[in-house]
Amino acid sequence: MTPTLIGRWQTRIFLLSTVGVLASLPFYFGLTGHGGSFTYFWVLLYVGLFGCGWDVIYNYLMGYMWDHDWPGVLQLLAGIWEGLFLGTVLMVIGLPYIPTQDFYLVDFILHYGFVWVGIYLSSWVVMRILFPRWRFRGGEWLGKWPHSPS
Amino acid sequence: MHIQLSWEDPITEEQQEPIFPLPLAFGRDLSQLPSRWQGQEVSRAVFTSREVSRYHALIYCSENGQVIYEDRSANGSRINGKKIRQARQVLTGGEVVQFGPYNVTVSLVASADEDPDATLLTRAHRGTPTLLLEPPTDLIRPDTRTPIDIPPPSTVVFAPEQIVDSRAAGEFPPPQLFQAEHISLAALRATGLPVEESEYLALGGGIGSFVWVDTLRIHGVKPEQIRVISIAQKPYERYERLLNNCQIPRWKRIRSGSDSCPDNIWGWPGYALREAWRSFFSGRVLEALGFLWQVFSEPLLADTYTPRAGDVFTAMDREAARIGWEQMLCYGNIRAIRKTEDGRYVVAYSATRAGHTDHRFRVAKYVHLATGYPAIKLLKDLQEFREQTGDLKSVVHGYEPHSHVYEHLEKHGGTVLIRGFGIVASQVMERIYEARKVNPRISVVHLSRSPKSGNRFGRAKRAVENHWEFQPYNWPKATWGGDLRAMLEAATPLERRELLELWGGTTTASRRKWRRAVQEGLQQGWYSILFGKVEKVELDNKGKPVTYIQGTHNNTQVKVEADFVIDCTGLVSDPMTNPLLNDLISHYHLPLNPHGRLHVSNDFELVEMRNREGRMYAAGIITLGGPYAPVDTFLGLQYCAHRSVEHLVRVRAPGTKTLEGIGSLWQWCKWALNLKP
Ligand SMILES: Cc1cc2nc3c(=O)[nH]c(=O)nc-3n(C[C@H](O)[C@H](O)[C@H](O)COP(=O)(O)OP(=O)(O)OC[C@H]3O[C@@H](n4cnc5c(N)ncnc54)[C@H](O)[C@@H]3O)c2cc1C
Repeated sequence: MTPTLIGRWQTRIFLLSTVGVLASLPFYFGLTGHGGSFTYFWVLLYVGLFGCGWDVIYNYLMGYMWDHDWPGVLQLLAGIWEGLFLGTVLMVIGLPYIPTQDFYLVDFILHYGFVWVGIYLSSWVVMRILFPRWRFRGGEWLGKWPHSPS
Repeated sequence: MHIQLSWEDPITEEQQEPIFPLPLAFGRDLSQLPSRWQGQEVSRAVFTSREVSRYHALIYCSENGQVIYEDRSANGSRINGKKIRQARQVLTGGEVVQFGPYNVTVSLVASADEDPDATLLTRAHRGTPTLLLEPPTDLIRPDTRTPIDIPPPSTVVFAPEQIVDSRAAGEFPPPQLFQAEHISLAALRATGLPVEESEYLALGGGIGSFVWVDTLRIHGVKPEQIRVISIAQKPYERYERLLNNCQIPRWKRIRSGSDSCPDNIWGWPGYALREAWRSFFSGRVLEALGFLWQVFSEPLLADTYTPRAGDVFTAMDREAARIGWEQMLCYGNIRAIRKTEDGRYVVAYSATRAGHTDHRFRVAKYVHLATGYPAIKLLKDLQEFREQTGDLKSVVHGYEPHSHVYEHLEKHGGTVLIRGFGIVASQVMERIYEARKVNPRISVVHLSRSPKSGNRFGRAKRAVENHWEFQPYNWPKATWGGDLRAMLEAATPLERRELLELWGGTTTASRRKWRRAVQEGLQQGWYSILFGKVEKVELDNKGKPVTYIQGTHNNTQVKVEADFVIDCTGLVSDPMTNPLLNDLISHYHLPLNPHGRLHVSNDFELVEMRNREGRMYAAGIITLGGPYAPVDTFLGLQYCAHRSVEHLVRVRAPGTKTLEGIGSLWQWCKWALNLKP
């Protein structure tokens, strides 16, 4: 994929709030791990918040590649890195609404992994099929083409 | 003393070879270049890149007759790779001077034996009568343009429609009637010829027309409202012919992304997934995983995935049947396009088949022009060789049928000289590599004007290996839909030219197999790369073409005798070389972009062709150098189609509906189930 910065943000927010929420529901209802909890949605929020920051860095790094491209393998590495970072922060310092004593590493890995795979796959499929414009606009699904001056 | 600068235009890949009387000053800003120097009139040349200084250098003849290069720039120049800055150096001819993104070969010509043809380019170049290479600051307006005649036909037969055209010329379209700006329907009917009408009309019927019609159909337009005029039965007819000529039969892979699918506007599932699916269910699990791994990790860890030509064609056949392509297709040679008095367009076309003349008009309100490449041209020296010797077998173009070359080589061995470093050259190399397995007595000399170092843009640099420049597709990937696309669209025409120069150039795909062939060839000595500029090609007494090359040092001359010369340089994209487009541009004074291609709006509209409610769009190579770089690719053509159809939705063209969200999903489901849109 060849995203723009705004496109990265828009796609991340859209997918976290749709696919991400759907994928978190089984965890919220306590189908796995240490029983259901609203914490899973806070995790989603942090993935989104920190992610928007990471996106700035990814966008900068992309400039080193001649094609200004962000292949799947980098998407995967970025996903692993973000998970490691967030997991460590939650485990060591904790974040508002997710105190360290409520943090279970295995649950986090399961939830984060499940959400990530869902989002990864749908970024290839769902976005393209719902928004034919998406792939030509670097991942921006909101808004229309500007009216060209004539 | 005159000086000839020659280089290849990085965007159109055309050879530029203007000659200037000395002294010559060049730089980025015309107003900074002196018009007089030591009492002499100065020729001036402007190169637009930001990496070139406003006044970059002066080349003059010293008192003792030497030609001196005086660098006056901030970043310096390189002469045969050696850097000079704010200094002087003697030029003896043949040097490659590098400044900014340009690699220019210098030749010294005594004023007497100046080639009259060579200066023509400069004059044609934006119509300045003096030898002044002045790029326009904006669009080329019709009133500043010198008329360009349609050049005489090349010896490469490429466009059958043009041959028929010249034979059947005469009184169609009626010259009197077609002189008008606007034609009335009554006058058309009065000719007694059939006058047909439709809402939408696609001209060309190639891949560009196909994806436009496909997009329209999926946006709600009915097949009865659309017509396509073409001489081709299949939308990929001409494309397949060119592929065959450059040694890509159906089972071979083309240079295209997995999600560049002319049969599917969403790009999902891409060809990699479809191929993996088929392999998986044929029991080839590893192969299936291989394709998925490729799209996942390309281009970092794996070669870029590309589909087989045959798979693309089969998929297009399915889509053509789904949208009713044959029902919309009208056979015909398009002769002329005019506006009508009732706010539409009329297209005069000839459906003449052997033995039976059939001239017609078709009137439509929304017209799409996608006629593909205007022509193929041989390099000038090769064209001269063919004209002089009448030998069409030993000097060939990579895009014309030339299998006899490989058959001969396999039987008798021999030497091949290749000109050009693009994708066709890679294919030819691959074919020769195969031929060498049959007969190892084959060697290849590859001619390059100058060594390659790899373009730079921002923090990135393009990869180079053994002077082959690599890029998965013909433009950096982000020009299709990433940040580079957005950047180009936002730029002014002149800034666009600068960006395109940095991103363009001749490149090939980095495929392991090709790189190995080159590596092996260099090591084993059957492949060599030679630098220099061709002076002439002649027939020697053994009946073989000999190429005389001016080396890059001290005017040295190298002679290469070969059994075959294969021209692997590009195709011609200048619309003025095509009779139909030449007539349209001249008749309506259409502006051209700084590359001399059709100027289109960001929605690919030919704005000057607006006729009240009527709208006309263009797509493909004839719009090169405008708001979008990869216009001549499947995905780029789909982008053109997408933009122009969204524009039609906005002006509420009949039958069109917005395509988004659930509606888009619904249309995709119909695609997947092979139901009519
Ligand atoms: C060898 C080669 C390989 C390529 N490989 C790829 C690739 O792998 N991936 C990719 O994305 N792109 C590729 N391209 C680029 C591009 O996608 C194709 O060239 C594509 O066919 C362009 O489509 P088009 O509609 O612009 O032109 P065409 O497909 O050439 O269609 C133009 C049609 O208009 C018709 N026509 C023209 N004038 C008239 C007239 N006056 N009357 C009637 N009919 C007329 C022609 O007969 C032709 O059928 C390749 C190009 C070449 C040459």
